[in-house]
Amino acid sequence: MMTRSPFSRTIIQGIAAVYPMAKRWLHRFHGGIYPKHHKSRSLQHPIKETFIAETLTLPIKTTRGQKIEWLVQVGDTVQKNQCLVQAAKENKKGFFVPLHAPTSGTIKAITEAEFPHPSGLTTQAIIIAPDFKQTTLQNALKVSGKQPDSPQKLKDILLHAGIVGLGGAGFPTYAKIPAQKDRIHTLIINGAECEPFITCDDVLMQTQAEPILQGAEIVAQALGVKQIVCGIESNKPQAIQAMQTAANQIKSVPITVKTVEAVYPMGGEKQLVLELTGIEMPVKTHAIDSGLLVFNVATFAAIFKAVTQGEPLTQRLVTVAGFELQTPYNTYALLGTPFIDLVNAGQPKNPIQYPLIMGGPMMGFQVAHNEVPVIKTTNCILANPPEPSTFTMPCIRCGECMDACPVNLLPQQLYWHSQAHEFDKVEKLNVFDCIECGCCSYVCPSHIPLVQYYRHAKSEIKTLHAEQQAAELAKQRYEFRLARIEREKQEREARLKAKKEAVKKHSPTAEPGKSAPKKPSVAAAAARAAAAKRAAAKANKNTEHSGTDEQKSPPLSARQKAIETAQKQAAAKVGSKVATAKDPRDSAKKSAKKAAVIAAAKRRTQAQKTTDTITTEEKKVTPQPPSNIATAPPLEDAKAKRQKAMEAAKKRAAERKARQSKQEKTE
Amino acid sequence: MLTAIVIFVGLALVFGLLLGYAAVRFKVEGNPMAEQIDKILPQTQCGQCNYPGCKPYAEALAKGEADVNLCIPGGNEVMLSIAEITGLEPKALDESVAAEHTPKETAFIDEDVCIGCVLCIKACPVDAIIGATKLMHTVIQSECTGCDKCAPVCPVDCIEMRAPETTLETWQWPEPTSEPKPLASQYLDVNSTTEQRQ
Repeated sequence: MMTRSPFSRTIIQGIAAVYPMAKRWLHRFHGGIYPKHHKSRSLQHPIKETFIAETLTLPIKTTRGQKIEWLVQVGDTVQKNQCLVQAAKENKKGFFVPLHAPTSGTIKAITEAEFPHPSGLTTQAIIIAPDFKQTTLQNALKVSGKQPDSPQKLKDILLHAGIVGLGGAGFPTYAKIPAQKDRIHTLIINGAECEPFITCDDVLMQTQAEPILQGAEIVAQALGVKQIVCGIESNKPQAIQAMQTAANQIKSVPITVKTVEAVYPMGGEKQLVLELTGIEMPVKTHAIDSGLLVFNVATFAAIFKAVTQGEPLTQRLVTVAGFELQTPYNTYALLGTPFIDLVNAGQPKNPIQYPLIMGGPMMGFQVAHNEVPVIKTTNCILANPPEPSTFTMPCIRCGECMDACPVNLLPQQLYWHSQAHEFDKVEKLNVFDCIECGCCSYVCPSHIPLVQYYRHAKSEIKTLHAEQQAAELAKQRYEFRLARIEREKQEREARLKAKKEAVKKHSPTAEPGKSAPKKPSVAAAAARAAAAKRAAAKANKNTEHSGTDEQKSPPLSARQKAIETAQKQAAAKVGSKVATAKDPRDSAKKSAKKAAVIAAAKRRTQAQKTTDTITTEEKKVTPQPPSNIATAPPLEDAKAKRQKAMEAAKKRAAERKARQSKQEKTE
Repeated sequence: MLTAIVIFVGLALVFGLLLGYAAVRFKVEGNPMAEQIDKILPQTQCGQCNYPGCKPYAEALAKGEADVNLCIPGGNEVMLSIAEITGLEPKALDESVAAEHTPKETAFIDEDVCIGCVLCIKACPVDAIIGATKLMHTVIQSECTGCDKCAPVCPVDCIEMRAPETTLETWQWPEPTSEPKPLASQYLDVNSTTEQRQ
C-alpha cells in the first residue's frame, strides 16, 4: 500500500463522511485516533522571550549503581553552559549524560528535590541561584566547528553536550548512534507532532528549519547515510513549507520532506517509520536493526548547536498550553525552571489549584507538585483543570480498542487478564509492545482506564522477573553455602586426622629418655584423649543435626569430663612412674611429662577452637566447666573480654531503645 | 477362541516388553515434581515451613509428607501453584498476616552497635552478610532474601528488617481503582472544544 492517489483520497474522504473510521485507510499503520488538535491558540503567539526563574532546580536521575562525578560544589559561581555533573570514569553501568548550567549564578545547594514524575519521588538535585547576567562560556564543548567525519567523534560531542532524545523518551542520543559507519541507510526526521496541544516542534520547524536540516546533514555525513526523510503531519502547512525551502539548499544528501496524515499516534517511532518507509519493525528490535535512525526535530537542532557552536543542551522549546490559559505560548525554557512560573506567565484565568500535566493530554502525566522543574524531556506543560470524573462502566466487549490500537495488540484481552492479575498471560499477549499511546482508553465507551492497567501490569511483570532472578541467585548461593559447609567439615576432619597422626608419631620421638615402660602410658593417655574427643565430636555432630540446646550440652560436658579424667590418669601414671623411677631418668621423665601436658593443652585448644565457633550460643547457656578455667586461662581471658564487650553493647542498645522510646513519648 | 487368547497374550507380551524397555530407557532421574516445586518457591531459605530450606520442603511436598500451605513468604500465589503441581487441595495459609502480600524486606545491621560476633553470618542461608570476628558486619542488600534468620540470633539486637526504599526505577504504577481519576483524554471530549469554552 503506497501513498494514496488524490482520486482515491477524495473517495475515502467521501466515505468518511458516512463512516468516520474510513479515515484510517489513509495511513499505513493499524488503528489510530483523531482527537481535536487544540494547537492553533499556542501558535498565534510568537516565541516568548526566555525568562529566568528565581531558582533553577536541576534534578539528576541516576539508575542504581551508576557513579557520577560532581564538578561543582555548593557556593561555586558557574557560567552558563558550564558542566556541573558528569558520569564518573569508573562508571560502567547504563548511560548518563552530563548536565550543564542553564544560566550563570551560584550553586545554592545540592540536595534532594522532586523529579517531574507521576510518583512525586525525589532525586539529588543542583539548585542554582541565577545572577541574571547570563555570562556565557563560549564554545563550552571546545569543538573545532568542523563536521565530525566518524561516528565516534560525533558520539563524543553528543555525549559531552548532554543531548538526549527531545521527543519525549529522553534516551541518550549518543547511545542511539551506532559506532560503525554505513550501518544506517535512512535517517528519519520526526516532525509528526501528533499529540494535541503541543506545538513546540511545529514552531521550531517554522523558525529553525535550517539548523534542523543542517543537524541532520551532520549526522548523515558522519554515519554515511544514503538519504534523509522528514515526516511532517499535514496539519502543519507552514512547517512543511519552511522545511521544504531549507531542504532545497542542502545538496550533499538527498532530503525528502513528506507530508503524513494527521492521525494520532503518527509521531510514534514505529508508526512513522512504517508510514515513511513501509518497513514494519519486528518485535523486540530497534530502528537501528532495520538500518534506520529516527530523531526528533528538536534533537537535530540541538545536535547542530553542539557540533557547530559547542553549545550544550541547557534549554529547550516548551509549549505552555491548556484550556485555563489566556495566552498559551511557546518559549525556550531554561532547564530547571519551575512549571508553575511558566504557567503563570501564560495568564491563567484562575489560580492553578490542580496538578499540571507534563507532556500532552494523551501520554502525559499529572505531576505531584506544580513546582517541579523543566527537564530535558519536558515538551509541554498543560494546565487543564480536572473534569468531574466519569464513572467507569463494565467492559461491553465492543472491540473499539482493538480497532484503535496502533500496534495490533488485543487491548480487551490485556485488560481482562491484567484485571485478574494473570500477568503471565498479559506478557504472552505482548504487553511490552504497548507504546502506552492511550488510543484504547480514548475510544473506550465505558471509560475504562485501559492504559493504566497496562502500565500497572508492566511494572508488576518487571517486579516478578526481578524477584525470579533474585530467587535464582538465592538458590545458587544457598546451594553453594551447603557445599561449602560440607567441604569445610571434611577439611576439618582431614586436618584433625592428620594432626592426630602427627601427635601419634610425635609423642614417641618426643621422649629422649628411651624408657620403655613410660612410652605406652603416655601414648595410651593420648589415645584415650583422642578417643574421648572423637566421641565428643561425634556426639556434637549428632546434636548439631537434632539441634536443641538441651541435647547439646550433656555431650559437651561429658567430653570435657572424659578429657579431664584422661589427663588425670595420665598425670597420675606419669607421676607414679616418676616417683618410682631412679634419679638419672628423672629429667627425661620430666620432659616427657611436659611434652604430654603441652600436647594435651594443644589438643584442647584445638578442640576448643573447632567447637567454639559452632557452640558459642550453647556455651552461653551452660557455663564452662571449672576444669577449663584451670587449664586454659588465656582462652578464658578472651572469653571474659568478649562477654564484657557484649554486655557493654547490650547496655548501649538498651540505652538507645530507652532514648528512642523517650523520643517517641515526647513526640 | 484359542486364536484370540494367543493374540491377546502376544499383545500383552509385546506391550509389556515395550513398557519395560521404555521404563529403563527413558528413566527420569530424581523427582521431577520436587524440581518443579523448587522452581516456584521464593528461595528465601527462611525455614518458616519447618524444613531447613526451600529444596527440602519441595522434596517433602513431592513425597506427599508436607502440607501445601507452609510457605509463608510465597503467600497464596505460591500455595495455589503448589496445589496445582501436586494435585492436592488448596489450603488457606495458617497465619492471617501471611495472606497479605507484604513487600520484601531486607536486613540492616546497625554498624555502631555491632560487636562482630559472627552469629548472624553463620545464620545467613545465602552468605549475604560480610564481616569477621570482632569486626563490623554488614549486609549485601542485593543478596539478602529477607528470611529474618539473622535478627533473632543477634546478641545485641542490632539487626532490623527494613522495607526497600522506592526509587524512580522501582516505583510502580498503581492499579486503577473502580473509581478512577479523570483521564487526561477526557479533556478532548468532542463536545467541549476550545471555542465553546470561550
